[in-house]
Amino acid sequence: METKLLKSSDIATLFDNLIKSGKVVIAPVAKKSGKVFFERVVSYDQIETDYIQTQFSAKSVVFPKVEELFTYKKTEEGIEIKDTLSQIPETVVWGLRPCDSSAFDYISEFFLKENPDAYFARRKELTTLITISCADADDACFCTSVDLNPGSTAGSDILLTKMGGEYYVEVVTEKGKAIIEKSANLFVDSPIKSKDEFLAKLKTQFSLEEIKEKIKTAYDNAQWKHESMGCYGCGACAFACPTCTCFDIQDESNGDEGSRKRCWDACGLSLFTKHNSGHNPRKNQTERRRQRLMHKFKYSVENLGIVSCVGCGRCIRVCPAHLNIFENILNVTKE
Amino acid sequence: MEQLQNKVAELFEKGTISMMIGFQNAIGKGAVPCFLDSASQVKLLIYNDLCKNNLAVYLHKPEVKEAKKIGIISNVATLRSILQLLSENQLWSLELTIMTFNSAHELIVFESIKDVEHYVQANFPELTDEEKELIEKINAMSRQERWEYWKDLYSTCIKCYACRAVCPMCYCPQCTVECNQPQWIKVTAETSGNMEWHTMRAMHLAGRCINCGECGRICPVGIPVHLLTAKMNLDIKKEFGAQTGFSSSNSYALNTYNPNDKEGFIR
Repeated sequence: METKLLKSSDIATLFDNLIKSGKVVIAPVAKKSGKVFFERVVSYDQIETDYIQTQFSAKSVVFPKVEELFTYKKTEEGIEIKDTLSQIPETVVWGLRPCDSSAFDYISEFFLKENPDAYFARRKELTTLITISCADADDACFCTSVDLNPGSTAGSDILLTKMGGEYYVEVVTEKGKAIIEKSANLFVDSPIKSKDEFLAKLKTQFSLEEIKEKIKTAYDNAQWKHESMGCYGCGACAFACPTCTCFDIQDESNGDEGSRKRCWDACGLSLFTKHNSGHNPRKNQTERRRQRLMHKFKYSVENLGIVSCVGCGRCIRVCPAHLNIFENILNVTKE
Repeated sequence: MEQLQNKVAELFEKGTISMMIGFQNAIGKGAVPCFLDSASQVKLLIYNDLCKNNLAVYLHKPEVKEAKKIGIISNVATLRSILQLLSENQLWSLELTIMTFNSAHELIVFESIKDVEHYVQANFPELTDEEKELIEKINAMSRQERWEYWKDLYSTCIKCYACRAVCPMCYCPQCTVECNQPQWIKVTAETSGNMEWHTMRAMHLAGRCINCGECGRICPVGIPVHLLTAKMNLDIKKEFGAQTGFSSSNSYALNTYNPNDKEGFIR
């Protein structure tokens, strides 16, 4: 892996070069509410640099909240179908956190391992992730508990770590290299450095190995009820989560034409598992919350070999009831 | 806190309650709703300024209905929700022991619903300055400007339905958005479907919403969803003189005919 240095004063130039390249650039933007969201931007002064975590993850770049898959139209010659693959733009995500970029590794496994999803594959191929290490963390952050850290390179194309007046640049992939080469005059080569002193310090909440083992037998633990009673049954946690991949497919028609769309869905919503007969196999919120948590720490390990929680803490921050995933997990895996 | 914990322990021991809905400490930011089923857990209970959630919404939960004898710690919004729900005949199966802390931080255990009404009427809340300012801003807009204002806000909605989930007045066992044969309201979280959802929601809550502001407070996107219903409540108060969450026998302004109503069309 190549390592380089970039002067802090040159960061806006690097950013402007990305914009000039004609790619769609998605970066954190602060709203009046104080919350920070990923949005398309056109200049560096639009972006927010002082944030612990964005309200929602960057997964929407490869897995949009609503994605039109194809449109159809009935004509005299027959039915005309147009897919939307060719409309997917080249995109750069700027300023996501290491937990978020590592989440891209998991969702890629999910969408590409068996029966690769063409839309996801295309979006992923055209997306470059420029991650910025975390210098600060809050009470909801717990990446070190899921074997990541505030400076992990997993999933990133480029990782920037602020060290005093300069950024230490780790060029992780060929895609990352292509970006660096376009602004080569801004970078100087650097020896490999230790980032530790510049990274956020956080409390490790649990041993992942221990949790993975104990959760195998936690299904019938009566504690689930206590942990989940407060759950209102909304989809905020799943929609904010960088690794939640459940979706619904909807056809929206208007006379002789229409489109097929894929949109986010959430296992916390009661309709999610409801059968046509009216029977719902996950009949109460306790079972729905258990599903979400066990999926993160058990089912995704069984299915794809990966723990699908990256410790970003978003579900904790957005939960209207302030439920806390690591507290819940600890409590249901106690002896 | 001991005051509350001792009282709840006593209520459990006497058999007055079989479940207590209150708050416990949460890591980081404040308080998380908790549900106790025995006196041995009362040490978990806390109550402070961070206990903002309107716990009345949990009174619809099947597990709570099953427990039947319920103790609940309430702020004024929760008390008003309870009164409104009583008006709508939603709590008939429960035996409620309702508690609150007054402004002097003394624990009050209400003896009767009449006492709750008196307390609520003496402590009836006003809209916050921020809410008033926003409503004034909306009032000053033309129809077109209003449409654009809401369209802009609702385009960012992700349809997580947290606004519905936290609302004590949203208790339909099956919401309109969950009816899919036919699909009344689009599932996709795009501007048109989002507008349909929020308009439907606001219309169903007009004259029933008690302005607790919970939906706006918790919206993960930061949309002030509570403003529409708050504004409609002001209109209803002006037109019909009706106030929600004021007594346990409120009539629903939008389906009650009164010979003194301003509208002449029915006469």
